Amino acid sequence: MSKPIFEIVDQLPTGGITIMALRALDFAVPGQWNNLVGFKNTIRTVTGETDEAMIQQIGDRAVFLFNDKSQGYQRALWLYETVDTADAALGAAAFANKVGEKIPLFGFLDKLTPKPEQAQTIDLTVKLVVELVAFCQINGIPGDSIGDFLAALGDYGGESLMRMAALVCFDGLIPLGPDFINKALNGISSMTPKELEQNSTFNGVKSLIPGGNSAGQLSFINQSFDATKGWMSDFVSYRNLTPEKVVSNLQNFVEISKDKLDYLGAFLDMSTNYYTHTGVQTLARRLIERAVAEI
Amino acid sequence: MVQRGRQILVSLVLVVLLLVTSCAPKPPSQFDQAQQLSSQPGAIAVAKNATQGSEFNAFFPKPGNGYERLYTQEKKGFAEAKLKKDGKDLAMLAISDTSSIPSAAQKFQQSTQKIGGYPAVEIGSTQTAVLVGDRYQVKVLSRDPAFGPAERSNWIAKFDLNGLAKLN
Repeated sequence: MSKPIFEIVDQLPTGGITIMALRALDFAVPGQWNNLVGFKNTIRTVTGETDEAMIQQIGDRAVFLFNDKSQGYQRALWLYETVDTADAALGAAAFANKVGEKIPLFGFLDKLTPKPEQAQTIDLTVKLVVELVAFCQINGIPGDSIGDFLAALGDYGGESLMRMAALVCFDGLIPLGPDFINKALNGISSMTPKELEQNSTFNGVKSLIPGGNSAGQLSFINQSFDATKGWMSDFVSYRNLTPEKVVSNLQNFVEISKDKLDYLGAFLDMSTNYYTHTGVQTLARRLIERAVAEI
Repeated sequence: MVQRGRQILVSLVLVVLLLVTSCAPKPPSQFDQAQQLSSQPGAIAVAKNATQGSEFNAFFPKPGNGYERLYTQEKKGFAEAKLKKDGKDLAMLAISDTSSIPSAAQKFQQSTQKIGGYPAVEIGSTQTAVLVGDRYQVKVLSRDPAFGPAERSNWIAKFDLNGLAKLN
């Protein structure tokens, strides 16, 4: 049994490393994300309704929809939570006492283990597939419909666009460099199913990735990443994103030298859970949009 | 000795504080009742025989004249599209099967107006709806202050309401 959805949304944080890291990406998607938290607050903001009785009705319906497992919302939440690395909690604890001052990353290098390129490639591509599958679970479009997802990606805004910006910056540009799309494509197309099976990010979410077995799932991951590479490279070039720009914006709260980008990647991986945070915000928005239209 | 005693006292106070704060009952929520009802075994949010959302798509207003229509959700008993113009969100267009929520259909008993021959109501400050064939609710929800009740009624009339009625 999941925690009540209103509690999950009420408990979304308004500060901490995840929030600071996401705010640092405002330069990439200006004004798109304002960290909407709180269940009733989300109802008011999404629907424009202010009457208490109306908010009660909308919230009640959203609670029912979320708790009906056949509706896919709990699966989407599980996907977002699971793909955020298991280390995140550990990392957050290690850095918790640093919030409010600049985090001197050079003092923590011994606690950070940069991921090898292959593991980073799997993180990036699996997170993208999780977005696709969670999108289908939330919005109800058939399970492996890459085309529908692509069409929707063009209309992404708010926290969904921020999540994609963070994916591109924190899991692409920083750990893999400006050529991350090609690196990931080459990496995933030369990978064997065995290698995929040994990866913990994949193993966490594999039960919900289409494809049947790991060979089929590898090909689905490959296909999905290939289909979205155009969107991603447009995103990067249109906004003129570079690892240097991302780093200089992150330097507002973390001290890092530019030759230690792999450590910065490991730090972000360990200390943030941006997929869960923005995923809950997306899920809440969609639930509420449906609830208000159905009552 | 005094030092040690003080340390122990401080640790004890901390432990007690931790226990008290962690065991404090959760503040009640106005959504607790819905949580309880919907967590009972067998509780469902969508009726078994509800119409699939994909069957609703054909009855939505057609895009054109600068208006874009983007389908956003398609679930059992529900379909929704976003209405946009010049890149701006104007409204949400939705069809739902009230067999999952009878109270949604009951509110039309108070209806005093009609759109396209079907009972219509204004709900809250952003919504207009009609009930088609005593079962399907067609709703338009404003997402822009310039898109008011008159626009909502106009767009409801653009749905193929008679076609939808035959789905029943």
